[in-house]
Amino acid sequence: MTQTGRSADGPATSRTAVRDGLVASLALVPSVFVYGTVFGGLAVQAGLRSLEVLGMSLLVFAGAAQFVAVPMIAAGVSPLAIVLTTYIVNMRHYLMAATLAPAFSGFPRAWLALIAHGINDESFAVAVARRNPPDPWFFIGSVLAVGGSFFVGVVVGTGLGGLVSDPARWGLDFAFPAVFLALVGAQLHSRADWLVALTSGVLAVAIALVLPGNWHIIIAGVAVSAVAALVLDPERA
Amino acid sequence: MRGQVWATIVGMAVVTYLTRAPLLMILARRPLAPRLRLWLRMIPLAVLPALALPLVLVVRNADGTPVGFGLGHPPLWGAIVVVVLASLRVNFLATVVAAVATVAVLRALG
Repeated sequence: MTQTGRSADGPATSRTAVRDGLVASLALVPSVFVYGTVFGGLAVQAGLRSLEVLGMSLLVFAGAAQFVAVPMIAAGVSPLAIVLTTYIVNMRHYLMAATLAPAFSGFPRAWLALIAHGINDESFAVAVARRNPPDPWFFIGSVLAVGGSFFVGVVVGTGLGGLVSDPARWGLDFAFPAVFLALVGAQLHSRADWLVALTSGVLAVAIALVLPGNWHIIIAGVAVSAVAALVLDPERA
Repeated sequence: MRGQVWATIVGMAVVTYLTRAPLLMILARRPLAPRLRLWLRMIPLAVLPALALPLVLVVRNADGTPVGFGLGHPPLWGAIVVVVLASLRVNFLATVVAAVATVAVLRALG
């Protein structure tokens, strides 16, 4: 394996790679910042306290799952259901962790325990697009840029969120479904993607009409994605 | 009540860490099986519409019981705006703002 012993690179090499990762992620900084701002603002609007919003952003650090959790918390959904939904939404991290792992052989385990928390869609995409297997230090640099801009965005958003009264008048109650649909829309590439998204949405509506609570999310999401994985050509993955 | 919010946040943090750390820390040597990779990729694609579409389509009473469909009501038009703009790769903020504005304008007119 050519990538083993990467951490044995000189400090100058790793410093350069961290800087390269930071610089390569600068293009993402505005959109990640805005994403964090929208999250912070909406979470405060939904009734979370600033400290809770900041704590969630530091401890969970997974934007999509946080957007999913906030309206559920606001609606008084049971913690168990929220935690389970979070797990399902974040299961895609397994894919990223497995792809990143070979690049990090030779790193101390304590470092890996910390670096793991920084795994995110944007840094993964940037690091893998540049080199596969990715450069670990480059990935770390990207995590610093993405994590930093997300967190600063959340701080700004929590400050702004308290300024709007009567959110429904401005359509802000629709912002959460709008964010979910925007996240899906950006991932729709093939006809199969559209089919999976539509089938799951329609099935969830049907289940929601007969089953109380929020189980339609997990049932439809897991069932439709599993059937899709069994039926579709795995070479697409 | 607030203790429950923090318990939820800590629970979310723990399960999220469990999706990140294990495979990185055992330094997985081989890629995941193709069908497993495909499933993991499909999950967000299925979960997010499962979350959003009932919010958009199902009209509920004050106590949360579903009373029917909201076909043609403002959120449905907002949803159409989002999906069209996002699939055209329009910027995230612009997409969300356009959708929220659509709902606000239709409500003001309605």
